[in-house]
Amino acid sequence: MSSPLLAAVSWTVPTVDYHGLAPEIVVALGLCVVMLVDLFLAERSKWLLASLSGFTLLGAFIPVLTLALDDGGARAMFDGRYVIDDFSLILKGLFLLAGYVVVLLSTTYIEEGEYYQGEYWVLMLSSILGMMMMTSSRDLISVFVALEFLSIPAYMLAAWRKRDAKSNEAGVKYFLLGVFASAVMLYGMSLLYGVTNSTLLSDIGASISGELTAVRIIAIVFVIVGFAFKVSAVPFHTWAPDTYEGAPTPVTAFLSVASKAAGFVALVTVLYVAVPEGSDVWQPLVWVLAVLTMTVGNVLALRQTNIVRMLAYSSISQGGFILMPLAVAAEGGAGGAALRSVVTYLIVYAATNLGMFAVILTVSRKTRSGEISSFGGLFGYAPALGVVMTFFLGSLAGIPPLGGWIGKFSAFQAVLEAGTGWAYAIAVIGAVNSVVAFGYYGNVMREIWMRPVPDANTMPIRTPAQLVLALAITTISTLALGVLPGVALHFGDLAIFAGAFAG
Amino acid sequence: MSPFLRSYLTVVWFGLAAFLLGGLLLWLASLLRPVKPNPEKVLAYESGVNPVGEGWSQSQIRYYVFALLFVVFDVEAVFLFPWATQLERYGSFGLIEMGVFVAVLLLGLVYAWRKGVLRWV
Repeated sequence: MSSPLLAAVSWTVPTVDYHGLAPEIVVALGLCVVMLVDLFLAERSKWLLASLSGFTLLGAFIPVLTLALDDGGARAMFDGRYVIDDFSLILKGLFLLAGYVVVLLSTTYIEEGEYYQGEYWVLMLSSILGMMMMTSSRDLISVFVALEFLSIPAYMLAAWRKRDAKSNEAGVKYFLLGVFASAVMLYGMSLLYGVTNSTLLSDIGASISGELTAVRIIAIVFVIVGFAFKVSAVPFHTWAPDTYEGAPTPVTAFLSVASKAAGFVALVTVLYVAVPEGSDVWQPLVWVLAVLTMTVGNVLALRQTNIVRMLAYSSISQGGFILMPLAVAAEGGAGGAALRSVVTYLIVYAATNLGMFAVILTVSRKTRSGEISSFGGLFGYAPALGVVMTFFLGSLAGIPPLGGWIGKFSAFQAVLEAGTGWAYAIAVIGAVNSVVAFGYYGNVMREIWMRPVPDANTMPIRTPAQLVLALAITTISTLALGVLPGVALHFGDLAIFAGAFAG
Repeated sequence: MSPFLRSYLTVVWFGLAAFLLGGLLLWLASLLRPVKPNPEKVLAYESGVNPVGEGWSQSQIRYYVFALLFVVFDVEAVFLFPWATQLERYGSFGLIEMGVFVAVLLLGLVYAWRKGVLRWV
């Protein structure tokens, strides 16, 4: 068949940089192997799958390291549609490590709950693969494919406790709102493509400049609203508390850390590469979103009695702090500082929040409860867990020697660097919110240290080895990032991002 | 009015015409036809089949998994056909890429087979 249309298109073999793609290839192969092995494995040896998934993620970390040590600069593939630079490598490393910790958290939970195991790990790995693709995507189509690739498995994971009505509710709500957000974003993307005639983000960035017409404004707003759902920014947050509460706790940890981080990665790439010239539109929008997100998240968190629900609102409000520097990112020289603060915050937040969920999982193995009051007297019978949980709460609140403060510090630094009236206003609102947040974090601390044990059951908690390892990783990184802030800031430093968004 | 909006005007005219034509035909039919209703006549006749049994009936879940399997191969075909017309141009690169794609899809078939989906129970 030789239609004149096809004949006109010349085709050359694209150059594929296999070293650059190695992390993705390892995870993709790993998930195929896990799926195959699961099919031919006896029920009693299904525990192998958890180790296999864990090793896949650690194995994929090796090429990330070799790529990071390679001095060749950014690698671009497919005309700059897929870029492997320092920005993407740092976040790929973050997703792989966060994924590994989630695998550690899930192992005993999934085994003891008699859930399907093979499918769980396959879906978890595919979601992580989608996140890794997201960090490298510099094209509307690959951004969208990566976003769906990471979301669709997550919808199913949220409903994994399929005999529990709450888990079903979690999955359905997440799915419906996620699909709705995708539709809104796709509409925005189609308009962006319509006005710029290109799906490549850097091309869009080059052609959106000067006067902003109505179509361009609508396109930018719709794309941002789509991502706002993904990062559960107020007023698009309504799915988050119900989904977090109903989903299995390890999946909640995964959603609140990795899935949210992926949303921010996509948002940052689109804002910085595709519509930097549209900042007159998106700066006020992100400003309002950030202020609402911090404030509403905090106020609602104050009233929660269930720890996971409280953490859901807390994670909404933390999302507001990540958005805060983006609200002034286009002012003066604040762009670099804002990008650094987003990356730093994501790293610190991942370590702290995963640790928090590790403690909750461990304690609920004994108390079988999600109420904040069930943590009463924790320090008395499980001193180590009590101290570690205090660390994580303190880090989320942003108390100086712990990791969280460096995230908040860099966010405020970026805002003050912008130095406009709007920037100072959001900095004040952010500062007030940090103080308010201490109200609910401090409340849990008071339960741990000062309240009596609710049912006088002071039997020590038996912690499985996987949870001990997860707690060790998260505690050490939370402490190390706080004591050595240079590490986190180095990872987020824009100097090494010089070529990041060139592609 | 801009040419862009004028092209939408055509859509509006078509919409109006459709409503008018449909209404007109229904009205003409009501003038001509005799009206003698009985219980059998007012029954729903979708697809020309009389309703049998209760309104609430369980549909066979096994059709659903077959439909899913069908989608797997349908998607494969959608990609295979255009690829096949241009195979010579894509060369060995295209062959390997399609091999990888088909292999991953085959994994889905292996999964269905091991889970017993292919047995009609």
